[in-house]
Amino acid sequence: MESGPIDHLIFLGKRLLQATLVMFVISLIGFSIQDNLGDPLRELLGQSVSEAERQALRDQMGLNDPFLVQYGRFLSKAVQGDLGDSYFFKRPALDVIADKFIATLELVIGATLIIVFISVPMGCYCAIKPNGWISRAVMGISIVGISIPVFLTAIFCIYLFSVELGWMPSFGRGETTAPFGWESGFFNVDGLVHLVLPSISLASIMLPLFIRLIRSEMMEVLESEYIRFAWAKGLNKYRVWFLHALKNTLLPVITVGGVQIGTMLAYTILTETVFQWPGMGFLFLEAVNRVDTPLIIAYIIVVGLIFVVTNTVVDVIYTLVNPTVRIAGKAS
Amino acid sequence: MTAPRMMALRAFLASDFIYRFRRDKVALVSFLVLLAFVLAGLLAPVLAPFDPYDPASIDIMNSEIPPVWTDGATDPQFLLGTDAQGRDMLSTILYGTRISLTIGIFAVMLQMVLGISIGLLSGYVGGRVDAFFMRLADIQLSLSTLMVAIVALAVFQAAFGTELYSDLAIFMLIMVIGIAEWPQYARTIRASVLAEKHKEYVDAARVIGLGPGRIMVRHVLPNTLSPLLVISTVQVANAIISEAALSFLGLGMPVTKPSLGSLINSGFEFIFSGSWWITLIPSVVLVVLILTINLLGDWLRDVLNPKLYKG
Amino acid sequence: MALLDVSNLNVEFPTRHGTLHALRDVSFTLDKGERLGIVGESGAGKSLAAFAIINLLSKPGRISGGTITFEGQDLTAMDTDALRSIRGNRISMIFQDPMMTLNPVLTIGTQMVETLQAHRRISHAEAKRIAIAKLREVTIPSPEERFDSYPHELSGGMRQRVVIAIALLTDPSIIIADEPTTALDVTIQAEIMALMLDLCETHDVGLILITHDLGVVSEVTQRVNVMYAGRVIETGSTRDIIDAPKHPYTRGLIAALPQQNEAAQRLNQIPGSMPSLDGIPPGCAFNPRCPHVGERCRREIPALRALGEQQVACHSAEEVAALAGNGGSAS
Repeated sequence: MESGPIDHLIFLGKRLLQATLVMFVISLIGFSIQDNLGDPLRELLGQSVSEAERQALRDQMGLNDPFLVQYGRFLSKAVQGDLGDSYFFKRPALDVIADKFIATLELVIGATLIIVFISVPMGCYCAIKPNGWISRAVMGISIVGISIPVFLTAIFCIYLFSVELGWMPSFGRGETTAPFGWESGFFNVDGLVHLVLPSISLASIMLPLFIRLIRSEMMEVLESEYIRFAWAKGLNKYRVWFLHALKNTLLPVITVGGVQIGTMLAYTILTETVFQWPGMGFLFLEAVNRVDTPLIIAYIIVVGLIFVVTNTVVDVIYTLVNPTVRIAGKAS
Repeated sequence: MTAPRMMALRAFLASDFIYRFRRDKVALVSFLVLLAFVLAGLLAPVLAPFDPYDPASIDIMNSEIPPVWTDGATDPQFLLGTDAQGRDMLSTILYGTRISLTIGIFAVMLQMVLGISIGLLSGYVGGRVDAFFMRLADIQLSLSTLMVAIVALAVFQAAFGTELYSDLAIFMLIMVIGIAEWPQYARTIRASVLAEKHKEYVDAARVIGLGPGRIMVRHVLPNTLSPLLVISTVQVANAIISEAALSFLGLGMPVTKPSLGSLINSGFEFIFSGSWWITLIPSVVLVVLILTINLLGDWLRDVLNPKLYKG
Repeated sequence: MALLDVSNLNVEFPTRHGTLHALRDVSFTLDKGERLGIVGESGAGKSLAAFAIINLLSKPGRISGGTITFEGQDLTAMDTDALRSIRGNRISMIFQDPMMTLNPVLTIGTQMVETLQAHRRISHAEAKRIAIAKLREVTIPSPEERFDSYPHELSGGMRQRVVIAIALLTDPSIIIADEPTTALDVTIQAEIMALMLDLCETHDVGLILITHDLGVVSEVTQRVNVMYAGRVIETGSTRDIIDAPKHPYTRGLIAALPQQNEAAQRLNQIPGSMPSLDGIPPGCAFNPRCPHVGERCRREIPALRALGEQQVACHSAEEVAALAGNGGSAS
């Protein structure tokens, strides 16, 4: 009945297989975009080249090869980290994205911190005292919160705190320093100040979602027999709430959280647009406007990779913290 | 409609549901406000003092006139002021609401059709078909809808060029938002098909020779009405948010035929110069619209309390 | 003086459609080391009576009257902290379904040690030693390993043994067991019951056994309360009640027991079902199902009164008692 390391390996194998499958599909999508979007020759040569020369070059570049051969070539390059050069930046597309990755990561970390540190205590409080006036207020505000699109929160933040009050910078990333080898705004006041409004905006729509989720999960858990038994054992209320109930509450929340990281990436595009935050999302929209195909594809593949990696990591974490999952398919 | 159905309808109207609806002021007010929105959308061409799609009615000289209740150079013609192009805000907002609602409702209808078909098929056929669709649903849910929509629309826009794209925008938005969100419907329907599949009356229906299609439509679907209603309310709100976000990014409705999202986008740059109303008024309209739908959805969930598929 | 004295206990549930009276004037006592059965159908209020003792009623239920005196203190007047020091310490509980009772994400060891540490100033090592000793006592094989197991790694029977071990950890003076074997396999039920009986006898622990099974009651308990629709309708020594029930309902329950020596006999069922709390008829709650129903029964609620060795709440108790000799008893 003990769960051995073999079970873990099988589970991990399945997850990796699915992850690979998803990445395969995404790469296929990326490739078909490359195949259909824009003409690489025109980018390279301009318009003033004869048809014969174009054909010769097409042959030379392998653009006339069968689909599978071309796709194979795309895939083998992609696996080596070569997704072509950005038309606009004249640099490898992946490098361009890597430069912006940290900026987006800062936003995601900032928003995640806000969400975790506010939603868990608030959700718990609302579950423990569902009829108190604070809980009612929180629930009322939260439904307003989920009704305000991220970009509107961002605009309101700018209007209120930057335009009207002038307390906060309205756009940009601020100063960055690199005490640990990478440029980040985390390590100086100006960078942190610039991070405040974008992080709040990014967190604004998910925070109420998580508060509501944690509240409803915890209310369900508090009704369960094992909680009643914990009370019957004469345990301290804090131990019942914050160990017995919270641990069971957070398990399903972790899975939802994993999925939401993907959604948050989408919201970074909106937040970065409003705040002109120089991250991946802002870069992507610029690339779309410039029809910078390699950059578009690189972004899609990087984002796909982030989705797949976070989902897999979350699944693995879930099995590590949830003892009942470990013997999946091996019921006692 | 058979006689028992009619009686069921009558019972429904006399039920707890209507009673609780009348008693709950938030639900009642939300419903009335939403009704007003829908009517305003439907009747926009009649209600609007100007036609914002008609370039002849727009005079650039009228640009950025503030709403009538503010101090400054107001014009009683333009109750809510004008935007940067000189369009009447009230008219533009009415037409924008119409577009936002249209996209929201049609996208959700598409989700429903897709989701119900796949859910019925998956649940009834089972086996590999089921495994395939449910796996697909898992994967689709693990990718974010908004992300998929942004990427898809961005690629379409890059491929078609902005001109052609703006003509197709409303159609593309409905397709993309509609296709991206079928899994929730499919899972709910599938779960209820599986629950009903082996019940006696379904067996009985099979014995008297009803085909699977009829059994599903006549017996399974009616049981899923309340979860479908609850999901749909939330989904319409989400679709409107998604549409607004996409339009705000310039991937949705063009400025010439603005939805609420594109209207907010077009006014955004003017909040720094003091013309707050171009962004703020459509924002308030959008938030109130979404809020009323969400409040109704919450209320429906409390009252109907359906078994929703989690995760 | 009795160890536990429950007197005129009333429990009510305020609802939107008015207040439901779930328990009415329930009284009983338990002496040190005594074993009391509380018998009734589901919904009769027997579990409520048990949960009310340590004030673990599910919301919005509340005690609206009566006293619960335990070791000379009134539990209904106690503040939360004082009550907490009695729960799981002086009075332990065993729940119905061992699959749901243990927290799935905490090890058996954690759930045992925390119970000890909630009531005693004790080191983790010392608590672990006691816990393992108790696990051994409830005959769990290799208790040192099981200490680190999660509940799902154990079978239902094993989990209920763990729950019993937890209940015994603090050497309580009363264990309240709410249908402790109902959720288990039939083959294990007798084993667990025998184990509980044995442990209660060795440790001189009082037991309140809540069950719908008169058979179990007759084997384990010394006294029994029969409950119907929120009231105690008959109480006395188990032997007296099984041999000579004086309430028509008790008589019906006993007649419904399978007879071991009379093969292939048709089971007697009491016709009808117990009313729900919002539909209790006026007069005696049992009157619609009662074979001895009279005009008075529809009008006047019978009070619990002494009749012979036991107490019974029935207007026609004498009539029923007279029948007792003429068959129908389970002895």
